[in-house]
Order: sequence, then structure tokens, then C-alpha cells
Amino acid sequence: MHSHLFAMMSFAGFVSLIFAVLMKDQPREQAKLGGLLFAGFLAAGLVLGWILFLFPL
Amino acid sequence: MGNKSGHSRRTHTKTASRSATFDLNPGRAVAAAALGWFVPGAGHIWVGRAQKGVIFLLGLPMMFAIGLALEGRLFPFDPSQPLVLLAAFADLGNGLPYFLAHLMGLGEGRVVADSFEYGNTFTIVSGLLNMLVCLDAHDVALGRR
Repeated sequence: MHSHLFAMMSFAGFVSLIFAVLMKDQPREQAKLGGLLFAGFLAAGLVLGWILFLFPL
Repeated sequence: MGNKSGHSRRTHTKTASRSATFDLNPGRAVAAAALGWFVPGAGHIWVGRAQKGVIFLLGLPMMFAIGLALEGRLFPFDPSQPLVLLAAFADLGNGLPYFLAHLMGLGEGRVVADSFEYGNTFTIVSGLLNMLVCLDAHDVALGRR
């Protein structure tokens, strides 16, 4: 796995899945929370990634 | 006198297995948490939350395996390095997959690999998530959820 984006997406997917199943009991609610968390992780990762791009090491 | 309600309290859950009745037994709750730690998801399956248990049983070991495949390291218990010690405890949270990986000689880690830090993140976070899952199994067994 050499794609940083894919690594980040798969990590976000697993964490979202576990949190959604842990927090909600109904499949519909789990899907809703999981989707929201996944989108949030992805958006935050991309935004923070671009912000850090402006500050190289 | 003769009122045993304090010892045999029962509760009816309002969730998936709505008709299930659980004994509010602290020993059973600790056993569910311990089982859930050793085999991710098994605690939930044992207390009647099979759907959740199966997802944890598949998801957490898969996340751990991906971490190893990304050349992550299973950290040693080294008290001279506090952060390494914390990471080792987090890895230990994976339970049986952690011990199997050790037995198979996996988790050596390759620091120069591009994916080394990703691998560490996957293995550490899967262990921490499994600890949360254990606490949830404990609460379910006590009838709190």
C-alpha cells in the first residue's frame, strides 16, 4: 500500500465503522453515524494536510 | 426478609435482542470484558450482541493485520522509554492477534519503510479500540446499555 490517501481512507473507514457500531444499536443509525464520521475524518485529513503543506519541515 | 431482589435483579434491554434478560452480575461483566479483550468481539457475542460482535471480530483483527502488513512494529515493554511503553500497552489491547503475531515473528517493523508510521498507527489504534469495545461489553453485561 503505497498510497498515503488510501492508507488514510482505510484508517478512517475502520475507525468510523468501530465507533458507529459501538455508539449506535440500529443499523440505520450506525450507517448514518459511520458515514458522518468517515466524511469528517476524510475532510479533516485533507484540510490539515493542505495546511501543513504550507509549512514544510 | 426473603427479598432476594437485591441479588437477582434483572433488566430487560431495549436493543436488538429486546426480549433478552440479563443477570446484573459483576463477575459476568468482568468475564465479558476479559473475553472481549482476548478475542475481539467475543464479549459482545457472549452477552447477546451478535451483530456488533461479528463486526468487531472481523474489523479489529483486520485493522491489526493491515498494520503489520504496513511494516508496523509491535513495541516492546521498555520502562526506560515511556512512550514506547504506552504503545506496547496499546498493542497488547489487541489480545489474541497480538500473541499470534508475536509467535509468528511478525511486528518487527522496518523503520525506513514509507508505511512504518501508518503501520504503527493501525496496530496501536486497533488495540485502543478493542479496549473501548471491552468496556462496552462490560457495560452491556451490567445492563447499562
